[in-house]
Amino acid sequence: MLGIVEQGLILGLMSIGVFISFRIVNMADLTVDGTFALGGALCVRLFSLGLNAPVSLLLSLLAGAGAGILTGFLHRKLKINVLLAGILVMTMLYSINLRIMNGPNLPIPKTSVSASLGTFEQVAGKDPLADLFEPSAPVAAPQKEIAKHRTFENIFLGTADGQDLLLLSAIVLICVALTGLFLRTELGTALRGFGTNPSGLESFGLPKTLMTLLGLGLANAFVSLSGGIFALYSGFADVTMGQGMIVTGLAVVMLGEILFVRRKLVYGIFAPILGGIVYQGILAVVMRYGYRIGFRASDMKLLTALFIVAVIGFGLIQTKKRMKGKFRLSTIFGGGVGRD
Amino acid sequence: MGVWAVIKLSDVSVVYRKGEENEKCALKNATLQISQGDFVIIVGPNGAGKSTLMKVLLCELAPTVGTYYLNGKSMRGFSVTQVARWVGRVFQDPNSGIFPDLSILENLSIASKKGVRWLRFRSCPQKAVSLLSLLGLGLEKNLNTRAGDLSGGQKQALAMIMAIISDPKVLLLDEHTASLDPKSSVKVMELTRQINEQFGITVVMITHNMPFAEQYGNRKWKIEEGEVYEYEYRPPVCLTRSENPFPLVGDQRRCAPKCV
Repeated sequence: MLGIVEQGLILGLMSIGVFISFRIVNMADLTVDGTFALGGALCVRLFSLGLNAPVSLLLSLLAGAGAGILTGFLHRKLKINVLLAGILVMTMLYSINLRIMNGPNLPIPKTSVSASLGTFEQVAGKDPLADLFEPSAPVAAPQKEIAKHRTFENIFLGTADGQDLLLLSAIVLICVALTGLFLRTELGTALRGFGTNPSGLESFGLPKTLMTLLGLGLANAFVSLSGGIFALYSGFADVTMGQGMIVTGLAVVMLGEILFVRRKLVYGIFAPILGGIVYQGILAVVMRYGYRIGFRASDMKLLTALFIVAVIGFGLIQTKKRMKGKFRLSTIFGGGVGRD
Repeated sequence: MGVWAVIKLSDVSVVYRKGEENEKCALKNATLQISQGDFVIIVGPNGAGKSTLMKVLLCELAPTVGTYYLNGKSMRGFSVTQVARWVGRVFQDPNSGIFPDLSILENLSIASKKGVRWLRFRSCPQKAVSLLSLLGLGLEKNLNTRAGDLSGGQKQALAMIMAIISDPKVLLLDEHTASLDPKSSVKVMELTRQINEQFGITVVMITHNMPFAEQYGNRKWKIEEGEVYEYEYRPPVCLTRSENPFPLVGDQRRCAPKCV
């Protein structure tokens, strides 16, 4: 149970990034898949080089922001479609991540973890995606045992009180608060304005390029941070850990919006967090009882993608009913959705 | 003369697809001067070069030949965002001048500054709200309304207020009443007149609405096949300083002293 909430928080943190790019800046940024793995890879590499965890996380956050800025640069300055620009950077990051890790995956070296962590190998020995995608019945049992001295807190603070949840909540809360505050500043308001009317912002002296770089940089910083935390939490980084993250993130954002109607902006940022936890919960239930209807772990991505299609389809039907746009996905599907 | 020329085009030509077979000269040797306080109406058929002229004035398009001076400064090499400091603009689409997903207050707060801004918390721009109350639409009472939920006329009115909050020298209007119903268009035109006459902001307006073209403005231009003719001229109408009922707007908004 704790594991679900913890993973949900990490997923939620990642989805804040997706929320920023898709909902606030209104750009379908596909860099996310690469940035998530970049965050993980760089964080574990820096950590194993002897830096402490907060600094490693901070540096991987900056690297993620850099990747987002690169996507924005390709989009604005070289006039590459934002989808293609995202895919290009994602592809570049695949090779870069392999370079960073010097291989397809990189565990946190045992020596850098304090001796109190006897169960660390159990965690590190698992498939990196197991935590996120396969908390099925057999995995759930050992998870409980390890929960007492999880690795993340140990790595982050050097203590082992089993307070991962508290620590993760604090990190996520700080991120949400900072984002909320930022979006209320003059620059943040302008960024939100940019999402609804990019050309309009130019007539107030703010160049599109600057806002694109800011928006995508910020979004990918969150994704990268979340990737770093996930790698530290699960014990190692893997080059494929970001695969399909954009779809998962989008599903989480939409799930959050369904559960948490966005009346005020502050709630809008909380929605992905809640969505992340609920998503992990649903995932656990599906994994646990899904086998009865012949469900496999590998079907999850299909389900996630179908969920997004269903939400958009449902949104369109609603839109036609009310003639009032709710979902802003014009960047993907071209043309506004029933805007008045 | 003697009145400060806000906009000056000297021998400006714009050629599209220069050197190619289907080369098109959209603006031919335009030499114009617009003084402070002028209300210029531009009419002309589609494809005559009206929008090209507007693009030149907005620096979206650099003239192929000739120079565009704004405030006596050559604008060659300036970008849209740099020129935005002196120029306000409102276009045909009511959603293009505002930020539909943001509240009215947030819209005003974005508009009340020009250029790069930092991490200051946005404050309620008092001047903006008092300008908004001029409209008489009651928008100032519903500052938290989503701007996208306003009617077309209200959106255009808000867009015009947003365009003039931060003291532009010129307000460029490109068929800004075209998508409005007749009643709203008249309201928006009256607001345009008010902006010009009371605040002394130079207005350059493109329109296809001939009654408006006759009724408003002190200078009438016609563009045909890239050539600009002036067919009517009257001295601009402005208030003197003591008559300005809106001192919030600041002194620089007054017309030049020699203005009638």
